Amino acid sequence: MTISRRVFVKTSGLALFSLGLDPLFLARAVASYPPLPSLTVPDRPVLVCLFQRGAVDGLNMIVPHGEPLYYRERPRIAIPAKDVVDLDGHFGLHPSLAPLKDLWDNKSLAAIHAIGSPDATRSHFDAQDYMESGTPGVKSTSDGWLNRYCRHDQEHADTAFRAVAFGPQLPRILAGTSPALALDDLQAFGLRVPQEAARDKLTRAFEELYEGAATGLLASSSQEGFAAIDVLKRVNPAQYRPANGAAYPQGRFGRSLLQIAQLIKSDVGLEIAFADLGGWDTHVNQGSSDGQLATRLRELGLGLAAFNRDLGERMRSVVVLTMSEFGRTIAENGNSGTDHGHATAMLALGGPVNGGKVLGNWPGLGPADRFEGRDVAVTTDFRDLFGEILVRHLGATDLSVVFPGFTPAPSRFPGAVRG
Amino acid sequence: MRLRFLTVWLALAVPAALGAQALTPRDSALHALNRLAYGPRPGEVDSVAGLGVMRWIERQLDFERVPDDRLAGRERAFKLLDYDRAELAQRYGDALRERREMQREMAQSGDTTRRRGAAAPMREFRQLGGELQQLAVVRAALSERQLREVMVDFWTNHFNVFVGKGADRFLTPSYIEETIRPNALGRFEDLLIATAKSPAMLFYLDNAQSVAPGVSPPRRQPRAPRGLNENYARELLELHTLGVDGGYTQQDVIAVARIFTGWGIDRPQQGAGFAFHEWAHDRGEKQVFGMRFRNDGVNEGIRLLKLLAAQHATMHHVSAKLCARFVSDEPPDGCVDAAVEAWHHTNGDIRAVLRAIFTAPDFWAPQALRAKVKTPLEFVVSAVRATGAEPDSTLRLAQVVTRLGQPLYLQPAPTGYPESQAQWVTSGALLSRMNAAVALAAGRMPGVRLDLDAIIPLTTHHAQLTDLVNARLLGGSMSAHTRSVILEQLADVNDPRQARTLAVGLALGGPEFQRQ
Repeated sequence: MTISRRVFVKTSGLALFSLGLDPLFLARAVASYPPLPSLTVPDRPVLVCLFQRGAVDGLNMIVPHGEPLYYRERPRIAIPAKDVVDLDGHFGLHPSLAPLKDLWDNKSLAAIHAIGSPDATRSHFDAQDYMESGTPGVKSTSDGWLNRYCRHDQEHADTAFRAVAFGPQLPRILAGTSPALALDDLQAFGLRVPQEAARDKLTRAFEELYEGAATGLLASSSQEGFAAIDVLKRVNPAQYRPANGAAYPQGRFGRSLLQIAQLIKSDVGLEIAFADLGGWDTHVNQGSSDGQLATRLRELGLGLAAFNRDLGERMRSVVVLTMSEFGRTIAENGNSGTDHGHATAMLALGGPVNGGKVLGNWPGLGPADRFEGRDVAVTTDFRDLFGEILVRHLGATDLSVVFPGFTPAPSRFPGAVRG
Repeated sequence: MRLRFLTVWLALAVPAALGAQALTPRDSALHALNRLAYGPRPGEVDSVAGLGVMRWIERQLDFERVPDDRLAGRERAFKLLDYDRAELAQRYGDALRERREMQREMAQSGDTTRRRGAAAPMREFRQLGGELQQLAVVRAALSERQLREVMVDFWTNHFNVFVGKGADRFLTPSYIEETIRPNALGRFEDLLIATAKSPAMLFYLDNAQSVAPGVSPPRRQPRAPRGLNENYARELLELHTLGVDGGYTQQDVIAVARIFTGWGIDRPQQGAGFAFHEWAHDRGEKQVFGMRFRNDGVNEGIRLLKLLAAQHATMHHVSAKLCARFVSDEPPDGCVDAAVEAWHHTNGDIRAVLRAIFTAPDFWAPQALRAKVKTPLEFVVSAVRATGAEPDSTLRLAQVVTRLGQPLYLQPAPTGYPESQAQWVTSGALLSRMNAAVALAAGRMPGVRLDLDAIIPLTTHHAQLTDLVNARLLGGSMSAHTRSVILEQLADVNDPRQARTLAVGLALGGPEFQRQ
């Protein structure tokens, strides 16, 4: 579904109505507009965005274990050097992320450190909003940057599953005029009638209703919905078994990743997938190698490793990107936790990723290097990373419409995608 | 006397004055009920048509005279309304303290296996947050003062705040009760000033954090605000008043922000009300659109708000939004101009502006009929009203609205929810509406009691059933195609109850009922 087709349907439907043509004729007319693009789009490049809501502590996720200051500032919560999974002698993974070490070694995992927003806010609400709208400091942006990418990218045909967010509502990052699907669970998508025969009958009935009597967006969107139901019937989510013995972690996040993998393998035209996971706001009792943060990172690491294993060869056209609204204070606080900070770290995983590297300019932890004297400084604007992935992985041609008021320059790209 | 004459004239003459394109009395009644109200209840199309649609509109504008006892009775079930802002602030503070205490205990005992569960005070507080949403749904469904509820929703959205942001968790209820509701059909200027002074807005758009550069509070505070914060100033100009093309500059935004320095909030222990902090105010001279503001404390802001409320750009921006709500997503110039003219004449009397819209030919034009797609709130409430269902006082019906994509008071962006259909009409959203319609028809919609027998008696006669559904639920708007599809579906259904469920579910989930 491209915007132009939506407009076409809208105008043609209204025109026919005003001519006073009978609804049955209209039904045929609506049904005869340009055919849906093929639902099968093999090997399409895919971007999976995972939002760590609550501001992940980048310093305990990608640990600067080569810096004595890190240990001095965090006497109770620093990851002991013996536990860190070393990456390059200076940085290392939190031990909970050990399942990702193989991916680092085969160069499909990169970390980007000291990344964040040019806006100084330490409000979760504002910072998440800015990261999703893609316009730091501008609150009135109504749509999200992933939606703007979909709207302006004419290279890739829309299908019912082009942009999918797992969750009850469409997140801000995908909000906008380009069609995007929010769903809790693939198995629950469609009409909720227990018996299959009755469900099919009711689905057909609604489909006929909308084919014949709906106009404009109601017609095109309902058609997308019924097309998606058809696709899912073929894909049959209930029967899905992960490949290569991949074991996803229990819970909503693991389930979302599993279903994203399933959609990718089903070639239903998925290009953008989104899921989020919370629990990163570790003000109190954050823990070190074990504890609160370790538990959350374990779920993330196991999930990413299972996703990678499940997709196997298909990872050649997939990039998974983690993001979080900001980082946390360099020093631990009085409650063995950390408070809201500035820059954080993000992970990029997948075949196209320029892996085996910690990317970005590391500003250091010294008092003079900090942001406002307390936080890791931002040296990479998140839009330079997001922009690089859109251009080099998905083939976006015009970033000015995706990030209005900002010009991501290839010279500032952190180099997350192999050229 | 003159007003009464005008009213009678309108009641009798306006639909007829539209000449050849005049709608039937039932068509105009249905149109008015779809736009000025959350859709008709059983029999209401006929009663409004019988009264005269313009007379009904006048009554809705003059809402104080419309008795609303049944709703008042239902409102008593909402504990939220028993607490004022100070009490809510205190309860929230208690809940937070209790939670921190629990976490500290967990930290000391080293017990990290327990998840961060909510202690009782926090659970109770969240329950109050749910009541806030449910109260809006119950009022929309049951109030006899329908236009007022529609306007409360409109202004709540125009002056959006986000209940999920920090102190707005306890500031939003009083924002609705004391800032929005009393001013919803009053003067725009009063409403604008009320929102500017409301703690909920001062917190949401960070004006409470905005202080003159270089100053610090008389008493040391742990996290004292530093410097200017332009958020409120920018949204005030862009969203609340002039509009994005309203002809202001970044310099104006900064000057406006300086004028509002000092507009803040009392500490929660002192009631969390509006406070003007002299120490935080920028005493320098400011220039906005070439007008000079010399140091005059809180009066500078009041003067600026009055000035903004009287700008032509503001009248045009807000009138166009009202017309997008009441006429069509992209309203014709005619109704917007009529609204602006009424605004000029009456200095922003909201009732007069609305009256101008409801008497504009554009409002009654055939292309305006069913031109708008319902929002999730409008869809749910109109379905509940159409079927004569009674929402209960649990939080479940509000949760249906949330699941359909419009969690009330939870739109983070200051733009509020968009008025245009593109936001609401997506494949997943439509399927959810179909599911909700079928659930309601089957008596399985959570949070409502439904007695369909009173509206659509059981019958084995399928054509009769379908005609009843059309007349009672769709106000006669069912297309021939929809009728034939429903009849086709009923063909092999023998059980009259099942047949009714299917017919009602298809009608409410079908395309006609998505429009208004």
